[in-house]
Amino acid sequence: MKLHHNICPRNCYDTCSIVSTTSNGVLISVEGNPHHEYTSGKLCSKALDDVKKVYSPQRVRYPMRQRGRYSGFWERITWDEALGLISEKILSLKEQYGTSLPLALNKYSGNFGILHNAMEGLFTGIGATTRAVGSPCWSAGVEAQTLDFGTYFCSDPLDMAQAKLIWLWGVNPVWTAVHQMPIIFDAIDHGAKVVCFDTHFSATAARSHQFIQVRPGTDGLLALGFAKVLLEENLMDPNLSDYTAGCEEFIHYLETKISLSHCSEVTGVPMSTIRELALEYGQTNPACIWAGFGLQRYTNGGQTLRAIDALGAFAGHLGKQGGGVQYAQFETWRFSGEISGDKPSSDKINSMDRNLNINRFSDEALSCTDPPVKMLWISGRNPLSQDGNLQRWKKLINQLDLIVVSDLFHSKSSEAADIFLPVTTHYEHWDVNAGYWHYWVGVNEPAISPVGESRSDLQIAWDVSSQLNHLTPGSCTFPTSGNEKETLLRELGPQMLEILGLENPEDILKGPVRAKFSRTAWENRTFATPTGRYEFFSTQAANAQLPPLPIFVPPLSPSINTPLRLLTPHHHSTINSQAYALDTRKTDFILYLAPELAQLYDLVAGDRAQIRNEFGQLNVIVHPEFGFSTDIVVIFQEQVDANFPLNRLLGTPSTDMGQITLGAPGFALNETFVNLRKL
Amino acid sequence: MVKQLGFLLNVNRCLGCGACAKACQNKNQLPPLLRWRQVRMVEKLSIDHIQKFYLSTACNHCGNPECLRVCPAGAYAKRRDGIVLHFSEKCTGCKSCVASCPFGAPQINPQTNKATKCQLCYERLDQGMSPSCVQACLTGALELKEVRDIPVNQLLRLTAPVPSLRLTRPSVFYKPPRETKV
Repeated sequence: MKLHHNICPRNCYDTCSIVSTTSNGVLISVEGNPHHEYTSGKLCSKALDDVKKVYSPQRVRYPMRQRGRYSGFWERITWDEALGLISEKILSLKEQYGTSLPLALNKYSGNFGILHNAMEGLFTGIGATTRAVGSPCWSAGVEAQTLDFGTYFCSDPLDMAQAKLIWLWGVNPVWTAVHQMPIIFDAIDHGAKVVCFDTHFSATAARSHQFIQVRPGTDGLLALGFAKVLLEENLMDPNLSDYTAGCEEFIHYLETKISLSHCSEVTGVPMSTIRELALEYGQTNPACIWAGFGLQRYTNGGQTLRAIDALGAFAGHLGKQGGGVQYAQFETWRFSGEISGDKPSSDKINSMDRNLNINRFSDEALSCTDPPVKMLWISGRNPLSQDGNLQRWKKLINQLDLIVVSDLFHSKSSEAADIFLPVTTHYEHWDVNAGYWHYWVGVNEPAISPVGESRSDLQIAWDVSSQLNHLTPGSCTFPTSGNEKETLLRELGPQMLEILGLENPEDILKGPVRAKFSRTAWENRTFATPTGRYEFFSTQAANAQLPPLPIFVPPLSPSINTPLRLLTPHHHSTINSQAYALDTRKTDFILYLAPELAQLYDLVAGDRAQIRNEFGQLNVIVHPEFGFSTDIVVIFQEQVDANFPLNRLLGTPSTDMGQITLGAPGFALNETFVNLRKL
Repeated sequence: MVKQLGFLLNVNRCLGCGACAKACQNKNQLPPLLRWRQVRMVEKLSIDHIQKFYLSTACNHCGNPECLRVCPAGAYAKRRDGIVLHFSEKCTGCKSCVASCPFGAPQINPQTNKATKCQLCYERLDQGMSPSCVQACLTGALELKEVRDIPVNQLLRLTAPVPSLRLTRPSVFYKPPRETKV
């Protein structure tokens, strides 16, 4: 029996430290690592399925070629054949068009391990290529916090245990960040009150003292309403002038533009409740807000988070132990970037890359004509399950010469692929991972040999480069071979070593390490903005044609033809389209709605119904449940074997922010409207 | 009986996440449809409050186990620490225990056609470890206790809509659930 260190690499708040056990080279169990302060020896039920997932009969073990897209006629090929087909296509496209821009990479969060940046590195090595940039997830919030604070940085999650009042706003940690819940419960045991703000009565609301149902997309106005009460009651921080900029303008805006009755009418929260909550927030110290990714997936998402930030600042809760407005952090991701070509020698920089918004990828790729996109590599992503605008995706697929998908399992995206490359799990390769919520960084060490013929992304990148250089010497500057472990250690450059307080990169191999940041964000109230202050008024925002103040901008409204807002929040059994519990797959989508709404459409539990809009339609089973407002319908992102994916109803509305910080705005997927009818 | 081990569930900390049930399934290598530990949701609504909580339940290792009483094959035994054990080698698959348990704890394993149930991870306990379900619980909601050490006045006995509760004396307690103001 041998023990190994691993980190769950999925796109999740918790980024758990895992101890895996092997016997005779076989993975037999995974457990939480008790020496990790945040995840403290526990794993969620998704990660507990990892052993079954690694050895799942459904896992693809060999490179495969599909005879006819969508045909399902996959045949096994050798790695040499796969690499040959890919490399020959790359070289022939380069020759035909005189540039490598027809090659496109669409990669995101299937595995957040740093060595997975090898795919970007490979494409950089080939030349100027077409890339998906931005994030489908957190762009608007990231940018809002960057405008307000100068960067996005949260307190250590353990800091929340010090709070006397915790507002969970648009976040559902019981389902999506379980390790935060014991910390919140400890705060409750020490007398803290927890209020949950959401569009529906979530599992987190059920574990809170109070639930506030907010009409979707109006959270920003609610925050401003709270600020207005603080102003009226003179509960603002008296020292605001010492560390903030633009407070007078903000006060003027509250005085002239915000009325509580309007706020109540728009948000659906009674005026007495707004007043009561605001007084509690203003008078309790420390008070913490955790703003989730849910509330910023709107066309006004960035403004919403700016309004919530402003409320936290106005009340004087920033920089205080157990206080603040928490969103996420990226300060523990200061890797050297050697593998991805982020910071390569100048000859490797491709300023000529064609960058496409990841959320509008199919549309923007189709509009590329000089030269057109002809080859697409999808890695760590499943866009045909997660992206909007599926019809445009279909069109793009038709124009492509070659589609390569590297993944563990077949997916909606691989149905359209020509070549499937099997990749290793985080138990089969070296990697290094950091959280975006807690401050811990650690390595994945290979516990077992690659299952079947699977290869790591880094190995695949080396192999493609090798094949390209074999066919045409000098055609790819990415390394053609190497040592995974050494490559990993090189990612821990001087800056990372300093952040982690390590002498040598090898020290990370002993176990996960917590970065040496202070437990409380913005403790000294010196901010990273151009003024060094918290900016109620942001010149950067004004320069980007955004409102300089955190004013309320209404969300999109439903139309007569599509009167209901469709929300598609995360389910506890999956992370986006990543499959976990194969034995709990459903055959139909479940549509949750308020009993009153069901009655209005003459529907009872178990009825079959159809939701539709201009993008498509989807058959669902109706499930009326208490806790949903009458203007929304909800489908949780579960594993469903329906004929059509849930995202066929999604367009590609963009969030207001994300361009400056992440290169593209985010995906406002909560601005999806549908009609409902009984079948 | 020198001891009576039992489960204590703090429903205010239980997330209904299912890690306990998953860990049990993994540890005991149960087939997909067999679950020794299950999680069910309880919801009560009033005008301005909702009480919604989860009950994670397995065999209750009753003080006076009905399964043991009815089993014609003598396949059940109660250990000195209160754990009710089932020995599959003695089980004939007659289902008497399945029919008599008020809590539905014993179930027929479709692969063996014999009864099967939570054994309270007695091998782990004998090595000084906690049961897999307790070990897996993310929030510390599920604990294993010597039931006579629990101050019972602040606890509720795990209830089921059956009269035989007083008879079997299940070794499971839970802390009263909190309501959410809406």
